[in-house]
Amino acid sequence: MTLFDPGLQPERTALAWRRTALALFVGSLVAMRILPEVLGAWAVVLGLAGVIAAGGLLWAVHRRYRTHHRMLLEEGDRTTLAGGRLIAATTLFCVLAAALTLVLVVVMAITGFSLVPLAR
Amino acid sequence: MSDADAPAGGRSTAPRRFPASVFGRGTEPDARFSLANERTFLAWIRTGLALLAGGVALEALGLGIQPGFRLAASLILIVAGLLTPLQGWFGWARTERALRLSTPLPSAPLALPLAIVVGVVGVLVLIGVLV
Repeated sequence: MTLFDPGLQPERTALAWRRTALALFVGSLVAMRILPEVLGAWAVVLGLAGVIAAGGLLWAVHRRYRTHHRMLLEEGDRTTLAGGRLIAATTLFCVLAAALTLVLVVVMAITGFSLVPLAR
Repeated sequence: MSDADAPAGGRSTAPRRFPASVFGRGTEPDARFSLANERTFLAWIRTGLALLAGGVALEALGLGIQPGFRLAASLILIVAGLLTPLQGWFGWARTERALRLSTPLPSAPLALPLAIVVGVVGVLVLIGVLV
């Protein structure tokens, strides 16, 4: 495979995206494990939404990387890379997740919920 | 890699990119800088996710910490986890704009407050364990 840059910048960027998507994926799975005892069936909906978002992110990142790779090879380092839509969407998702988490923790505190009852 | 050698015309076929406040001005910077900027954004996102995970873990696991201090630490972590993605986005946009205009790169205004907040959380957890 021909590479644009010996520093592998596009590849490192794709890996950084994948680490982020993986964190979202694991976080969603953990949420699906913890939340049912607090939220009931809604927990599965929220967890699945996170898993689907993480999967969609991996797919979008794959496309983004392939586009960048091709454009950089064809046009060099002053090419027009993809814009900020994926970046904005990721920000929005994480802010929403944080807001939900805030509500969740308040509910957990009010109801006295704990995964480890003896440790309280 | 030289500056100002990219013709202003000839780019008309390029798709319009979001957000216009970033891509509407300046010239294309070296793609390597834009990619590094993107990775910095992602580092902020992962920091935010880690803060959320920490906040939930404190409340969910209990860990023998006094409930009041534990909840305070948890809420502080989660509010920080809400602000870090915003720092990521606005930092990314400002940096990309600076790269396009060849102006000095912005600092991250949330970096120092975040460091202080994590320190405060550490103190709260410590007190919560000792009380």
